[in-house]
Amino acid sequence: MALSQMRHIICFGNELHGDDGFGTRVYAQLHRLSWPKNIEVFNAGVAGLNALRFLENCSQAILVDALVNFGNVGEICVLRPEDLADRPEQLTGHGLGLPYLLEALKVVRDPLPDILIVGVEIAAVSPFSSVLSDKTEQAVPKTVQLIRGLLSE
Amino acid sequence: MSKRIIQIDLNRVEGDLDFQLELEGGKVVDARCIGSMYRGFEQILISRKPKDSLVITPRICGICGTAQLNAAVLALEHLGGIPVPPAAMRIRNLCLMAETVQSDLRQSFLFFTADFCHPKYEPRSFYQKARAAFLPFKGSVHRGALEHSRHIVEIIALFGGQWPHSSYMLPGGVTTPASSRHIIDSLSILNKMTRWFEQDIIGTDLDSWLALQSADEFFTWLTAKDTHTNSAIGLFTLMSRDIGLHHLGFGTPHMLSYGAYDDPADAGTFPPQRKHLFRAGFLNGDTGNVEPFEQAEITEHVRYSWFQPYTGGRHPFQGQTIPDYQPHSDRYTWCKAPRYQDKVVQTGPLADALIDSEPLIRSLYQAEGGNAWLRQFSRLRRTARLLHKMREILHELAAHPNDPHMISPDTLEIPDGEGFGLVTAARGALGHWLQVTDGVISRYQVVTPTAWNASPKDSAGRHGHWESSLIGLTVDDPDDPVEIGHIIRSHDPCLVCTVHVLDTGKRITLWP
Repeated sequence: MALSQMRHIICFGNELHGDDGFGTRVYAQLHRLSWPKNIEVFNAGVAGLNALRFLENCSQAILVDALVNFGNVGEICVLRPEDLADRPEQLTGHGLGLPYLLEALKVVRDPLPDILIVGVEIAAVSPFSSVLSDKTEQAVPKTVQLIRGLLSE
Repeated sequence: MSKRIIQIDLNRVEGDLDFQLELEGGKVVDARCIGSMYRGFEQILISRKPKDSLVITPRICGICGTAQLNAAVLALEHLGGIPVPPAAMRIRNLCLMAETVQSDLRQSFLFFTADFCHPKYEPRSFYQKARAAFLPFKGSVHRGALEHSRHIVEIIALFGGQWPHSSYMLPGGVTTPASSRHIIDSLSILNKMTRWFEQDIIGTDLDSWLALQSADEFFTWLTAKDTHTNSAIGLFTLMSRDIGLHHLGFGTPHMLSYGAYDDPADAGTFPPQRKHLFRAGFLNGDTGNVEPFEQAEITEHVRYSWFQPYTGGRHPFQGQTIPDYQPHSDRYTWCKAPRYQDKVVQTGPLADALIDSEPLIRSLYQAEGGNAWLRQFSRLRRTARLLHKMREILHELAAHPNDPHMISPDTLEIPDGEGFGLVTAARGALGHWLQVTDGVISRYQVVTPTAWNASPKDSAGRHGHWESSLIGLTVDDPDDPVEIGHIIRSHDPCLVCTVHVLDTGKRITLWP
């Protein structure tokens, strides 16, 4: 498959930290779906800088993560990397966090893939909990639908 | 005198760490290092087949999975009396070194040196140079470290199929021999890394750098040429000393090293008799002598940990890991408190170099002690040694093209019994202790480098190394305690630090 045609969906999160596991839960649903050959789904978990690998060999990437201070709890947001530029601490931060990863990507990859960030405003990061809060849980299937829609465009 | 408590969260890939510090008049009077995430790997392994540890334990850490794998396989080989051929030892060593090089470069230039660009240092003469070299994503060294550090672990992927979380070490050897293609590709990766390291990090060739043997030689070298002064290590040294990091962050004087990298020339022996390329030992801080290391002297305490209590310390073979979360007690962490000969110890590249009698590090230590600058300097000194050693290993592998990479064990099953595997990971001494009963794991105890360094108080109420390295420190601005950041980062806790001021609920960020 030519590089220009590949599209990656990369999900971030810590499934042992309550709502911080949102991205991982979305991955679990996306992974069960059938996708065309030019779409790959990755569970980046808390990979930090190691997730740079998932951003190679693709022309488009959708990053899925939990958000803090972007809207009302349960609200799904679609962001561009530039929306994070002045908010380095706003994502929940897995390892170094998405803003750091995206800055690092600029150093190691040129040209950059087209990137969208899909996330949900979460209620709470709860250590030692593998359960999502109600509103975050409800956002999971909606996010899956949204991503399918984005990729059908 | 005003008193306040600040809490510093250290978000790590492999687990969460916080610091809670008590300040009186800007001086740290108490410190608590809090491991805030319980992992439970030791429980996961109970009742599993012994070799499951080769798949499960590399998942303990996203940074040092190769070290975990190496410790796990050594424990199995120790238990089973399983020999390993020299070629397999070389491949294991090569991969472990690659992982350590990546970790050390990222720790140094993605995390530690970024603090020199803190606005507090704007009046300093070094500030513009610091920004040009170390500013995240803009500075030349930061950008170079991002690019070059990611490629060195491709050597592990060549031999192990993937990195991180690889499982290519098996009792008796490794899964893949060193083909000429592997060696050529590894040399290519190593050459690129070495060229960048020589040009940007040390400003000279590797051999000249490693030839520096004493503090006097080093400080003469530092200002002898602009390329030395303006190298990353030159800038890091001059900036560190300008702000006094060579007077801070000492911690415990006792140091421990399990020894690093099994010596292929000693492949006929078994641990703990097997020699290492870098020596094992215990540096007794009271006497200054390096004593032989004996793993039986290790104990773990849980008096201040969220585990089911037991009295005093226990050796890992008698260890017990039963979580017992008590948030409203005086217990404060998921870390146990390991002790050696009942002493608080530190582990890591400084300890390794001193115990191995690395001349330059010993000379600097004798002059100024084990301070925050020297701890960080030792990490970069190690990178040079490892790049040199990795080349040697690749040439040795090329010189013995048909040597076996595996000695198949007599039986596929690991017998009942007990064994341990001790290695040097990027952050220091890592040990796995394994007991097998009726064919399955009956006890598995992991003592990580961070458990040693980030240990809480023990049964006698003695602080761990990181805690004691901060007690007594004076902070200029408790709302922006960059001094604490320097010291904490010199211990290699990894990622960004954020500070929560508990008395106001105000959240501030320890720059950047």
